[in-house]
Amino acid sequence: MRRTVSLVAIALFLLSIALMLHGCSKSQTEVAAGITDTFAPDLNDPKLKERLGDDDGYSLAVLYGSDIHGSLETCG
Amino acid sequence: MRSHDEAPALFVDAGNLFSDDRYAAGELPAEITVKNRWVLKGYGDFNHDAANLSYLDLPYLASLLKKDGYDKRVAEFPFIKKLISANIKPMDPSVQAPPPYVIVETTLKRGQPGKKYKIGIIGLTQGKPVSPTVDEYDVAGFHIDDPFIAAKRILPDLKKQVDFVLALAYMPQDKAQLLATQNSEIDAVIGARQISNTGEVQHFNRATLTYAYSQTKYLGELRVYLSNDAKIENQTNRYVALDDSVPDDPAAAEVVASAHTEFTNEQSKTAQQVQASATPMTLLSTASPYAGVDECAKCHQQEYDIWKNTGHAHAMATLEKRNQQLDQGCVKCHVVGFEQGGFQAVYSTPQFANVQCESCHGPGKAHVDNPGKGYGFMSVPVGCIQCHTQNNSPDFNFALYYPKIRHTKG
Repeated sequence: MRRTVSLVAIALFLLSIALMLHGCSKSQTEVAAGITDTFAPDLNDPKLKERLGDDDGYSLAVLYGSDIHGSLETCG
Repeated sequence: MRSHDEAPALFVDAGNLFSDDRYAAGELPAEITVKNRWVLKGYGDFNHDAANLSYLDLPYLASLLKKDGYDKRVAEFPFIKKLISANIKPMDPSVQAPPPYVIVETTLKRGQPGKKYKIGIIGLTQGKPVSPTVDEYDVAGFHIDDPFIAAKRILPDLKKQVDFVLALAYMPQDKAQLLATQNSEIDAVIGARQISNTGEVQHFNRATLTYAYSQTKYLGELRVYLSNDAKIENQTNRYVALDDSVPDDPAAAEVVASAHTEFTNEQSKTAQQVQASATPMTLLSTASPYAGVDECAKCHQQEYDIWKNTGHAHAMATLEKRNQQLDQGCVKCHVVGFEQGGFQAVYSTPQFANVQCESCHGPGKAHVDNPGKGYGFMSVPVGCIQCHTQNNSPDFNFALYYPKIRHTKG
Protein backbone atom coordinates (compact mmCIF):
# COMPACT_ATOMS: atom_id res chain seq x y z
CA MET A 1 0.00 0.00 0.00
CA ARG A 2 1.14 3.45 -0.77
CA ARG A 3 2.63 5.17 2.24
CA THR A 4 1.14 8.09 3.96
CA VAL A 5 1.47 11.22 1.97
CA SER A 6 1.28 14.49 3.74
CA LEU A 7 -0.21 17.38 1.91
CA VAL A 8 1.71 19.73 4.11
CA ALA A 9 4.90 17.87 3.41
CA ILE A 10 4.46 18.09 -0.32
CA ALA A 11 3.29 21.65 -0.10
CA LEU A 12 6.33 22.63 1.85
CA PHE A 13 8.55 20.59 -0.39
CA LEU A 14 7.32 22.25 -3.52
CA LEU A 15 7.25 25.62 -1.93
CA SER A 16 10.80 25.12 -0.77
CA ILE A 17 11.75 24.23 -4.29
CA ALA A 18 9.95 27.31 -5.49
CA LEU A 19 11.68 29.50 -2.98
CA MET A 20 15.11 28.05 -3.54
CA LEU A 21 15.10 27.58 -7.26
CA HIS A 22 12.34 29.59 -8.79
CA GLY A 23 13.00 32.85 -7.05
CA CYS A 24 9.43 33.33 -5.98
CA SER A 25 8.95 37.02 -5.56
CA LYS A 26 7.00 37.03 -2.35
CA SER A 27 8.50 39.35 0.22
CA GLN A 28 11.20 38.14 2.55
CA THR A 29 8.89 38.85 5.45
CA GLU A 30 6.44 36.31 4.10
CA VAL A 31 9.14 33.78 3.47
CA ALA A 32 10.52 34.20 6.97
CA ALA A 33 7.07 33.51 8.36
CA GLY A 34 7.23 30.04 6.90
CA ILE A 35 8.58 27.22 9.02
CA THR A 36 11.76 26.45 7.11
CA ASP A 37 13.39 26.66 3.74
CA THR A 38 16.39 24.52 4.60
CA PHE A 39 15.02 21.31 3.14
CA ALA A 40 17.33 20.20 0.37
CA PRO A 41 16.30 16.99 -1.36
CA ASP A 42 18.51 15.34 -3.92
CA LEU A 43 17.39 17.00 -7.12
CA ASN A 44 19.47 14.58 -9.15
CA ASP A 45 17.30 11.69 -8.11
CA PRO A 46 15.73 10.51 -11.39
CA LYS A 47 12.33 9.82 -9.85
CA LEU A 48 12.23 13.21 -8.21
CA LYS A 49 13.29 14.88 -11.44
CA GLU A 50 10.44 13.14 -13.21
CA ARG A 51 7.98 14.39 -10.60
CA LEU A 52 9.26 17.95 -10.86
CA GLY A 53 8.89 17.88 -14.62
CA ASP A 54 10.88 19.48 -17.37
CA ASP A 55 11.50 23.17 -17.62
CA ASP A 56 9.53 24.04 -20.72
CA GLY A 57 9.78 27.79 -20.37
CA TYR A 58 6.64 28.47 -18.35
CA SER A 59 6.30 31.85 -16.66
CA LEU A 60 4.06 31.06 -13.70
CA ALA A 61 2.92 27.93 -11.89
CA VAL A 62 -0.19 27.42 -9.81
CA LEU A 63 0.05 24.36 -7.58
CA TYR A 64 -3.31 23.17 -6.38
CA GLY A 65 -5.23 20.55 -4.45
CA SER A 66 -8.57 20.07 -2.70
CA ASP A 67 -10.74 17.92 -0.47
CA ILE A 68 -8.31 17.21 2.33
CA HIS A 69 -11.35 17.51 4.63
CA GLY A 70 -9.39 18.18 7.79
CA SER A 71 -6.77 15.49 7.29
CA LEU A 72 -3.08 16.16 6.87
CA GLU A 73 -2.59 12.44 6.28
CA THR A 74 -4.53 9.58 4.77
CA CYS A 75 -5.87 6.39 6.39
CA GLY A 76 -3.66 3.31 6.94
CA MET B 1 18.78 18.79 -12.97
CA ARG B 2 16.23 21.53 -13.02
CA SER B 3 17.87 24.86 -13.47
CA HIS B 4 14.92 27.09 -14.23
CA ASP B 5 15.01 29.52 -11.41
CA GLU B 6 12.64 31.88 -13.13
CA ALA B 7 9.00 31.04 -12.53
CA PRO B 8 7.03 32.13 -9.46
CA ALA B 9 4.75 29.51 -7.95
CA LEU B 10 1.48 29.90 -6.07
CA PHE B 11 -0.28 27.31 -3.95
CA VAL B 12 -4.07 27.22 -3.67
CA ASP B 13 -6.78 24.91 -2.34
CA ALA B 14 -9.98 24.58 -4.36
CA GLY B 15 -12.22 23.74 -1.39
CA ASN B 16 -13.25 21.32 1.35
CA LEU B 17 -10.16 21.82 3.47
CA PHE B 18 -12.00 21.55 6.80
CA SER B 19 -13.85 18.56 8.19
CA ASP B 20 -17.54 18.78 9.01
CA ASP B 21 -17.71 15.21 10.28
CA ARG B 22 -20.43 14.62 12.88
CA TYR B 23 -21.61 18.20 12.69
CA ALA B 24 -25.18 18.49 13.85
CA ALA B 25 -26.35 22.08 14.25
CA GLY B 26 -24.09 23.48 16.90
CA GLU B 27 -20.41 23.01 17.50
CA LEU B 28 -18.15 20.50 15.89
CA PRO B 29 -16.78 17.69 18.09
CA ALA B 30 -13.56 18.74 19.84
CA GLU B 31 -11.34 16.34 17.90
CA ILE B 32 -12.70 17.59 14.57
CA THR B 33 -11.97 21.14 15.63
CA VAL B 34 -8.42 20.08 16.45
CA LYS B 35 -7.98 18.60 12.95
CA ASN B 36 -9.29 21.75 11.33
CA ARG B 37 -7.11 24.02 13.42
CA TRP B 38 -4.01 22.16 12.28
CA VAL B 39 -5.03 22.54 8.65
CA LEU B 40 -5.47 26.26 9.21
CA LYS B 41 -2.09 26.47 10.92
CA GLY B 42 -0.36 24.31 8.31
CA TYR B 43 -1.67 26.30 5.37
CA GLY B 44 -0.54 29.51 7.05
CA ASP B 45 2.86 28.24 8.10
CA PHE B 46 3.58 26.96 4.62
CA ASN B 47 2.55 30.16 2.87
CA HIS B 48 -0.44 28.97 0.90
CA ASP B 49 -1.90 31.79 -1.13
CA ALA B 50 -5.64 31.10 -0.88
CA ALA B 51 -8.25 28.48 -0.06
CA ASN B 52 -11.73 28.40 -1.51
CA LEU B 53 -14.54 27.78 0.96
CA SER B 54 -17.02 25.08 0.09
CA TYR B 55 -20.32 24.25 1.78
CA LEU B 56 -18.42 21.55 3.69
CA ASP B 57 -16.17 24.15 5.32
CA LEU B 58 -18.92 26.22 6.87
CA PRO B 59 -19.42 24.54 10.27
CA TYR B 60 -15.82 25.34 11.20
CA LEU B 61 -15.81 28.69 9.44
CA ALA B 62 -18.50 30.04 11.74
CA SER B 63 -16.15 29.87 14.71
CA LEU B 64 -13.35 31.59 12.79
CA LEU B 65 -15.32 34.55 11.50
CA LYS B 66 -17.10 35.69 14.65
CA LYS B 67 -16.44 39.42 14.94
CA ASP B 68 -15.85 39.02 18.66
CA GLY B 69 -12.18 38.08 18.96
CA TYR B 70 -11.63 38.13 15.19
CA ASP B 71 -8.44 40.20 15.27
CA LYS B 72 -6.92 37.97 17.91
CA ARG B 73 -7.71 34.87 15.86
CA VAL B 74 -6.23 36.43 12.74
CA ALA B 75 -3.08 37.30 14.68
CA GLU B 76 -2.76 33.64 15.65
CA PHE B 77 -3.88 32.25 12.29
CA PRO B 78 -3.23 34.81 9.54
CA PHE B 79 -4.44 32.36 6.93
CA ILE B 80 -8.03 33.17 8.00
CA LYS B 81 -7.77 36.21 5.72
CA LYS B 82 -6.97 33.96 2.78
CA LEU B 83 -10.12 31.86 3.15
CA ILE B 84 -12.16 33.24 0.27
CA SER B 85 -15.68 33.03 -1.09
CA ALA B 86 -17.60 35.35 -3.35
CA ASN B 87 -20.95 33.71 -2.64
CA ILE B 88 -20.95 32.70 1.03
CA LYS B 89 -22.59 35.23 3.33
CA PRO B 90 -23.15 35.01 7.09
CA MET B 91 -26.77 35.30 8.19
CA ASP B 92 -25.72 36.37 11.67
CA PRO B 93 -24.54 40.02 11.83
CA SER B 94 -22.04 39.10 14.54
CA VAL B 95 -20.16 37.01 11.99
CA GLN B 96 -17.79 38.50 9.43
CA ALA B 97 -18.10 37.72 5.71
CA PRO B 98 -15.08 36.05 4.08
CA PRO B 99 -13.30 38.13 1.40
CA PRO B 100 -14.54 37.31 -2.12
CA TYR B 101 -11.02 37.20 -3.48
CA VAL B 102 -7.36 37.79 -2.75
CA ILE B 103 -4.78 39.41 -4.99
CA VAL B 104 -1.26 37.99 -5.07
CA GLU B 105 1.50 40.07 -6.58
CA THR B 106 4.62 38.51 -7.97
CA THR B 107 7.52 39.58 -10.16
CA LEU B 108 7.94 37.94 -13.52
CA LYS B 109 11.30 36.62 -14.59
CA ARG B 110 10.11 35.25 -17.88
CA GLY B 111 7.77 36.70 -20.45
CA GLN B 112 8.32 40.29 -19.38
CA PRO B 113 11.06 40.06 -16.75
CA GLY B 114 10.72 42.52 -13.87
CA LYS B 115 7.04 43.17 -14.42
CA LYS B 116 4.88 43.20 -11.33
CA TYR B 117 2.23 40.63 -12.15
CA LYS B 118 -1.01 40.43 -10.19
CA ILE B 119 -3.10 37.31 -9.89
CA GLY B 120 -6.66 37.67 -8.61
CA ILE B 121 -8.02 34.51 -6.98
CA ILE B 122 -11.80 34.34 -6.53
CA GLY B 123 -13.65 31.61 -4.63
CA LEU B 124 -17.04 30.15 -5.55
CA THR B 125 -19.02 27.14 -4.31
CA GLN B 126 -22.24 25.39 -5.13
CA GLY B 127 -24.88 24.85 -2.42
CA LYS B 128 -24.84 21.68 -0.36
CA PRO B 129 -26.38 18.90 -2.46
CA VAL B 130 -29.22 17.19 -0.62
CA SER B 131 -30.58 15.28 -3.59
CA PRO B 132 -29.67 14.96 -7.29
CA THR B 133 -31.83 17.97 -8.08
CA VAL B 134 -31.86 20.02 -4.88
CA ASP B 135 -29.13 22.05 -3.24
CA GLU B 136 -29.32 23.47 0.27
CA TYR B 137 -28.31 27.10 0.44
CA ASP B 138 -28.38 27.76 4.18
CA VAL B 139 -25.65 25.88 6.02
CA ALA B 140 -24.31 26.44 9.54
CA GLY B 141 -25.49 30.03 9.75
CA PHE B 142 -24.31 30.99 6.28
CA HIS B 143 -26.28 31.57 3.09
CA ILE B 144 -24.80 30.38 -0.18
CA ASP B 145 -25.73 32.73 -3.02
CA ASP B 146 -25.95 31.64 -6.64
CA PRO B 147 -22.29 31.38 -7.66
CA PHE B 148 -23.00 32.52 -11.22
CA ILE B 149 -24.68 35.72 -10.09
CA ALA B 150 -21.87 36.36 -7.62
CA ALA B 151 -19.28 35.84 -10.35
CA LYS B 152 -21.01 38.31 -12.67
CA ARG B 153 -21.14 40.86 -9.86
CA ILE B 154 -17.54 40.66 -8.74
CA LEU B 155 -15.40 39.63 -11.70
CA PRO B 156 -15.48 42.88 -13.73
CA ASP B 157 -14.05 44.85 -10.82
CA LEU B 158 -11.47 42.19 -10.03
CA LYS B 159 -10.35 42.01 -13.64
CA LYS B 160 -9.56 45.73 -13.62
CA GLN B 161 -7.15 45.23 -10.74
CA VAL B 162 -5.15 42.22 -11.93
CA ASP B 163 -3.35 40.62 -14.86
CA PHE B 164 -4.66 37.11 -14.38
CA VAL B 165 -7.96 35.91 -12.89
CA LEU B 166 -8.04 32.46 -11.33
CA ALA B 167 -11.42 31.10 -10.19
CA LEU B 168 -11.51 28.33 -7.61
CA ALA B 169 -14.84 26.55 -8.06
CA TYR B 170 -16.24 23.85 -5.78
CA MET B 171 -18.93 22.50 -8.05
CA PRO B 172 -19.63 19.76 -10.62
CA GLN B 173 -17.81 19.84 -13.89
CA ASP B 174 -20.75 21.00 -16.00
CA LYS B 175 -21.23 24.02 -13.75
CA ALA B 176 -17.54 24.84 -13.73
CA GLN B 177 -17.59 24.71 -17.54
CA LEU B 178 -20.52 27.11 -17.52
CA LEU B 179 -18.61 29.43 -15.23
CA ALA B 180 -15.66 29.46 -17.61
CA THR B 181 -17.88 29.96 -20.64
CA GLN B 182 -20.04 32.74 -19.22
CA ASN B 183 -17.31 34.92 -17.72
CA SER B 184 -14.77 36.29 -20.14
CA GLU B 185 -12.82 37.84 -17.27
CA ILE B 186 -11.67 34.42 -16.06
CA ASP B 187 -8.32 33.12 -17.30
CA ALA B 188 -8.37 29.79 -15.49
CA VAL B 189 -10.81 27.76 -13.43
CA ILE B 190 -9.60 25.16 -10.97
CA GLY B 191 -12.54 23.02 -9.99
CA ALA B 192 -13.02 20.48 -7.23
CA ARG B 193 -15.67 18.25 -5.76
CA GLN B 194 -14.20 15.02 -4.43
CA ILE B 195 -13.09 13.88 -7.85
CA SER B 196 -10.59 11.06 -8.22
CA ASN B 197 -9.43 11.26 -11.77
CA THR B 198 -7.09 13.46 -13.62
CA GLY B 199 -8.11 14.80 -16.98
CA GLU B 200 -6.64 17.01 -19.61
CA VAL B 201 -6.94 20.75 -19.41
CA GLN B 202 -10.09 21.97 -21.15
CA HIS B 203 -10.37 25.25 -23.01
CA PHE B 204 -13.47 27.45 -22.99
CA ASN B 205 -13.03 30.62 -24.98
CA ARG B 206 -9.82 32.00 -23.46
CA ALA B 207 -10.17 30.25 -20.11
CA THR B 208 -8.91 26.85 -19.10
CA LEU B 209 -10.56 24.38 -16.73
CA THR B 210 -8.75 21.77 -14.68
CA TYR B 211 -9.85 19.72 -11.68
CA ALA B 212 -8.12 19.06 -8.40
CA TYR B 213 -7.61 15.48 -7.35
CA SER B 214 -9.47 14.56 -4.17
CA GLN B 215 -7.32 14.63 -1.01
CA THR B 216 -4.55 16.06 -3.20
CA LYS B 217 -3.27 12.54 -3.81
CA TYR B 218 -1.97 14.07 -6.99
CA LEU B 219 -0.85 17.65 -6.85
CA GLY B 220 -2.12 19.76 -9.73
CA GLU B 221 0.27 22.09 -11.50
CA LEU B 222 -1.16 24.64 -13.87
CA ARG B 223 1.57 26.27 -15.94
CA VAL B 224 1.05 29.65 -17.56
CA TYR B 225 3.17 30.83 -20.49
CA LEU B 226 3.43 34.56 -21.12
CA SER B 227 4.65 36.51 -24.12
CA ASN B 228 7.22 39.31 -24.04
CA ASP B 229 4.46 41.78 -23.26
CA ALA B 230 3.09 39.52 -20.50
CA LYS B 231 0.05 38.36 -22.47
CA ILE B 232 -1.13 34.82 -21.89
CA GLU B 233 0.09 32.59 -24.71
CA ASN B 234 -0.78 29.18 -23.38
CA GLN B 235 -1.68 27.17 -20.29
CA THR B 236 -0.91 23.53 -19.61
CA ASN B 237 -1.70 21.23 -16.74
CA ARG B 238 0.03 18.29 -15.13
CA TYR B 239 -0.44 16.18 -12.02
CA VAL B 240 2.39 15.26 -9.71
CA ALA B 241 2.02 11.86 -8.07
CA LEU B 242 2.70 12.19 -4.36
CA ASP B 243 4.40 8.87 -3.80
CA ASP B 244 7.70 7.62 -2.43
CA SER B 245 9.59 9.53 -5.12
CA VAL B 246 8.76 12.75 -3.34
CA PRO B 247 10.58 12.99 0.00
CA ASP B 248 8.92 14.45 3.07
CA ASP B 249 10.42 17.55 4.54
CA PRO B 250 11.37 16.70 8.14
CA ALA B 251 9.95 19.97 9.44
CA ALA B 252 6.65 19.34 7.71
CA ALA B 253 6.60 15.75 8.92
CA GLU B 254 7.03 17.10 12.44
CA VAL B 255 4.01 19.34 12.00
CA VAL B 256 1.92 16.41 10.78
CA ALA B 257 3.11 14.28 13.72
CA SER B 258 2.21 17.02 16.19
CA ALA B 259 -1.23 17.36 14.60
CA HIS B 260 -1.70 13.61 14.80
CA THR B 261 -0.71 13.49 18.47
CA GLU B 262 -3.05 16.27 19.48
CA PHE B 263 -5.90 14.76 17.48
CA THR B 264 -5.35 11.31 19.00
CA ASN B 265 -5.14 12.74 22.52
CA GLU B 266 -8.41 14.55 21.98
CA GLN B 267 -10.07 11.38 20.74
CA SER B 268 -8.73 9.45 23.73
CA LYS B 269 -10.23 12.03 26.05
CA THR B 270 -13.59 11.63 24.34
CA ALA B 271 -13.38 7.85 24.58
CA GLN B 272 -12.52 8.06 28.27
CA GLN B 273 -15.41 10.40 28.91
CA VAL B 274 -17.80 8.01 27.20
CA GLN B 275 -16.43 5.08 29.17
CA ALA B 276 -16.81 6.96 32.42
CA SER B 277 -20.27 8.26 31.69
CA ALA B 278 -23.39 6.78 33.22
CA THR B 279 -24.73 5.81 29.84
CA PRO B 280 -21.97 3.98 28.04
CA MET B 281 -22.44 2.90 24.47
CA THR B 282 -23.81 -0.52 25.22
CA LEU B 283 -26.63 -0.77 22.79
CA LEU B 284 -24.63 -3.28 20.97
CA SER B 285 -24.45 -6.91 21.18
CA THR B 286 -27.98 -7.45 22.33
CA ALA B 287 -29.66 -5.02 19.94
CA SER B 288 -27.12 -5.22 17.15
CA PRO B 289 -28.12 -6.69 13.79
CA TYR B 290 -24.58 -8.06 13.59
CA ALA B 291 -23.38 -11.38 15.04
CA GLY B 292 -19.59 -11.22 14.83
CA VAL B 293 -17.19 -13.60 13.16
CA ASP B 294 -17.10 -16.12 16.01
CA GLU B 295 -20.77 -16.83 15.42
CA CYS B 296 -20.17 -17.24 11.68
CA ALA B 297 -17.34 -19.70 12.33
CA LYS B 298 -19.63 -22.11 14.15
CA CYS B 299 -21.12 -23.16 10.79
CA HIS B 300 -18.57 -21.82 8.30
CA GLN B 301 -15.28 -23.06 9.74
CA GLN B 302 -13.56 -23.50 6.37
CA GLU B 303 -14.29 -19.95 5.31
CA TYR B 304 -13.25 -18.68 8.74
CA ASP B 305 -9.90 -20.47 8.47
CA ILE B 306 -9.21 -18.73 5.16
CA TRP B 307 -10.36 -15.36 6.46
CA LYS B 308 -8.23 -15.37 9.60
CA ASN B 309 -5.08 -15.37 7.47
CA THR B 310 -6.14 -12.45 5.31
CA GLY B 311 -5.42 -8.75 5.69
CA HIS B 312 -9.10 -8.22 6.44
CA ALA B 313 -8.70 -10.13 9.72
CA HIS B 314 -5.97 -7.74 10.81
CA ALA B 315 -7.44 -4.53 9.47
CA MET B 316 -7.58 -2.86 12.86
CA ALA B 317 -3.90 -3.57 13.49
CA THR B 318 -3.13 -1.61 10.32
CA LEU B 319 -4.68 1.45 11.90
CA GLU B 320 -3.12 0.82 15.30
CA LYS B 321 0.33 0.74 13.74
CA ARG B 322 -0.28 4.28 12.62
CA ASN B 323 -2.15 5.29 15.74
CA GLN B 324 -5.31 5.91 13.74
CA GLN B 325 -7.56 3.46 15.56
CA LEU B 326 -9.61 6.33 16.95
CA ASP B 327 -9.96 8.24 13.70
CA GLN B 328 -13.54 7.56 12.75
CA GLY B 329 -12.95 8.57 9.18
CA CYS B 330 -10.56 5.62 8.91
CA VAL B 331 -12.20 3.18 11.32
CA LYS B 332 -15.38 2.75 9.31
CA CYS B 333 -13.58 0.66 6.69
CA HIS B 334 -11.66 -1.46 9.19
CA VAL B 335 -14.56 -2.87 11.23
CA VAL B 336 -18.08 -4.34 11.05
CA GLY B 337 -21.12 -2.09 10.86
CA PHE B 338 -19.65 1.19 12.09
CA GLU B 339 -22.44 3.58 13.07
CA GLN B 340 -24.94 0.93 11.98
CA GLY B 341 -25.29 -0.97 15.21
CA GLY B 342 -21.96 -2.75 14.92
CA PHE B 343 -18.54 -1.47 15.96
CA GLN B 344 -18.43 1.55 18.20
CA ALA B 345 -15.11 1.33 20.03
CA VAL B 346 -12.52 -1.31 20.82
CA TYR B 347 -13.29 -1.25 24.54
CA SER B 348 -17.04 -1.70 24.07
CA THR B 349 -17.39 -3.77 20.90
CA PRO B 350 -14.18 -5.70 20.31
CA GLN B 351 -16.15 -8.47 18.66
CA PHE B 352 -16.80 -6.19 15.69
CA ALA B 353 -13.22 -5.02 15.13
CA ASN B 354 -11.53 -5.87 11.80
CA VAL B 355 -13.12 -6.49 8.43
CA GLN B 356 -15.21 -9.59 9.08
CA CYS B 357 -17.78 -11.65 7.20
CA GLU B 358 -20.55 -9.15 7.83
CA SER B 359 -18.49 -6.19 6.63
CA CYS B 360 -19.05 -7.52 3.11
CA HIS B 361 -22.06 -9.85 3.42
CA GLY B 362 -24.17 -7.57 5.60
CA PRO B 363 -25.74 -7.92 9.05
CA GLY B 364 -26.01 -11.62 9.91
CA LYS B 365 -27.71 -11.80 13.31
CA ALA B 366 -31.05 -12.73 11.77
CA HIS B 367 -29.32 -15.43 9.72
CA VAL B 368 -27.65 -16.82 12.86
CA ASP B 369 -30.97 -16.87 14.67
CA ASN B 370 -32.70 -18.51 11.73
CA PRO B 371 -30.13 -20.20 9.45
CA GLY B 372 -31.07 -20.79 5.87
CA LYS B 373 -30.37 -19.79 2.33
CA GLY B 374 -30.88 -16.25 1.15
CA TYR B 375 -28.20 -14.57 3.22
CA GLY B 376 -24.68 -13.76 2.19
CA PHE B 377 -24.88 -12.76 -1.45
CA MET B 378 -22.32 -10.17 -2.30
CA SER B 379 -21.77 -8.35 -5.55
CA VAL B 380 -18.11 -8.08 -6.47
CA PRO B 381 -16.28 -5.90 -7.19
CA VAL B 382 -19.03 -3.38 -6.43
CA GLY B 383 -19.00 -4.34 -2.76
CA CYS B 384 -15.21 -4.09 -2.54
CA ILE B 385 -15.00 -0.59 -3.88
CA GLN B 386 -17.19 0.79 -1.14
CA CYS B 387 -13.98 0.89 0.88
CA HIS B 388 -11.27 0.21 -1.67
CA THR B 389 -11.82 3.60 -3.23
CA GLN B 390 -9.28 5.42 -5.31
CA ASN B 391 -8.61 7.67 -2.35
CA ASN B 392 -8.28 5.05 0.37
CA SER B 393 -6.81 2.23 -1.67
CA PRO B 394 -5.12 3.72 -4.71
CA ASP B 395 -3.30 0.50 -5.58
CA PHE B 396 -6.42 -1.67 -5.42
CA ASN B 397 -6.65 -4.08 -8.31
CA PHE B 398 -9.59 -6.46 -8.09
CA ALA B 399 -7.94 -9.19 -10.17
CA LEU B 400 -4.93 -9.20 -7.84
CA TYR B 401 -6.65 -8.55 -4.54
CA TYR B 402 -9.69 -10.80 -4.78
CA PRO B 403 -7.77 -14.10 -4.81
CA LYS B 404 -6.22 -13.07 -1.51
CA ILE B 405 -9.58 -13.16 0.26
CA ARG B 406 -11.54 -15.55 -1.95
CA HIS B 407 -13.26 -18.21 0.14
CA THR B 408 -16.09 -19.57 -1.98
CA LYS B 409 -15.99 -22.85 -3.84
CA GLY B 410 -15.42 -22.95 -7.57
